[in-house]
Amino acid sequence: MLSRVVLSAAAAAAPCVKNAAVLGPGVLQATRVFHTGQPRLAPVPPLPEYGGKVRLGLIPEEFFQFLYPKTGVTGPYVLGTGLSLYFLSKEIYVITPETFSTITVVGLIVYVIKKYGASIGEFLDKLNEQKIAQLEEVKQATIKQIQDAIDMEKAQQALAQKRHYLFDVQRNNIALALEVTYRERLHRAYKEVKNRLDYHISVQNMMRRKEQEHMIDWVEKHVVQSISAQQEKETIAKCISDLKLLAKKAQAQPVM
Amino acid sequence: MASLVPLKEKKLMEVKLGELPSWILMRNFTPSGIVGAFQRGYDRYYNKYINVRKGSISGINMVLAAYVVFSYCISYKELSKCSGMTQLPVSREAGVDWLC
Repeated sequence: MLSRVVLSAAAAAAPCVKNAAVLGPGVLQATRVFHTGQPRLAPVPPLPEYGGKVRLGLIPEEFFQFLYPKTGVTGPYVLGTGLSLYFLSKEIYVITPETFSTITVVGLIVYVIKKYGASIGEFLDKLNEQKIAQLEEVKQATIKQIQDAIDMEKAQQALAQKRHYLFDVQRNNIALALEVTYRERLHRAYKEVKNRLDYHISVQNMMRRKEQEHMIDWVEKHVVQSISAQQEKETIAKCISDLKLLAKKAQAQPVM
Repeated sequence: MASLVPLKEKKLMEVKLGELPSWILMRNFTPSGIVGAFQRGYDRYYNKYINVRKGSISGINMVLAAYVVFSYCISYKELSKCSGMTQLPVSREAGVDWLC
């Protein structure tokens, strides 16, 4: 009795489960929405070509622009000169033996930079370009891979749409097989019935033939029995005399 | 004379001179705030002068010059003893005193 309750509960639950299975994934896919935020930094903005401008290699251009409205073009330079003279005269900057080594070293560095700066820059740019080209290759290869994967997915999805062809073919095959079996069995039934009917017919024929033969034999036997000996002699004598007559007639004919 | 933007969110260049003390006091002085300020400054300098396609020497040059000036300021006290030098020094001592 408990098993019956369980069975009925299962039967009641089965359609619900089926419905839930049909409904669940579809509903989940319909309500979950991705990529709702605004895309930032996508695609990533490219690096700026040149850095901020710097004058004398030390002072950014913004400083010159900052002083331009009030003091014009020569303002910052005059400020620099005045400041340096002030520092020197007030000995805020003290001239030591190190000053001369500094001047020499800085002069050397400036000369080297002015002479070889451009070529070193080009060399480094080439290195950079190689690196970027490598990364670009990787990126393109990845994009191509993913594109191929997408195409394959789409093709397979399209295939999945066409599977009803497969089912149609299978259905046709099964129908054909059923038809063939049905006809085969029909034919066999027909043959069996005909067999049985033929049997009856041949039995009848055989019976009739046997009866005929038996009747003929019986009649012959009785007729033969009915011919007595006397009648046989008389009949034979008559036949002989007839034959003689005929022979005479036959002899007479060709002579004439 | 109410400002349109509250004082806390103005950048340094937009703060008027009279508001400067209050603006400074309003900044975030917690450790994370200070670290954030250093990080922001570093990011600004890096993205302007170094993280470019054709960077120049001035990106590093400015940092070195700032370091030179900073170390000069640190050692000013000892260097100021060398001031007023008309002849080469005679005695030698440790630190920057070897200069004078």
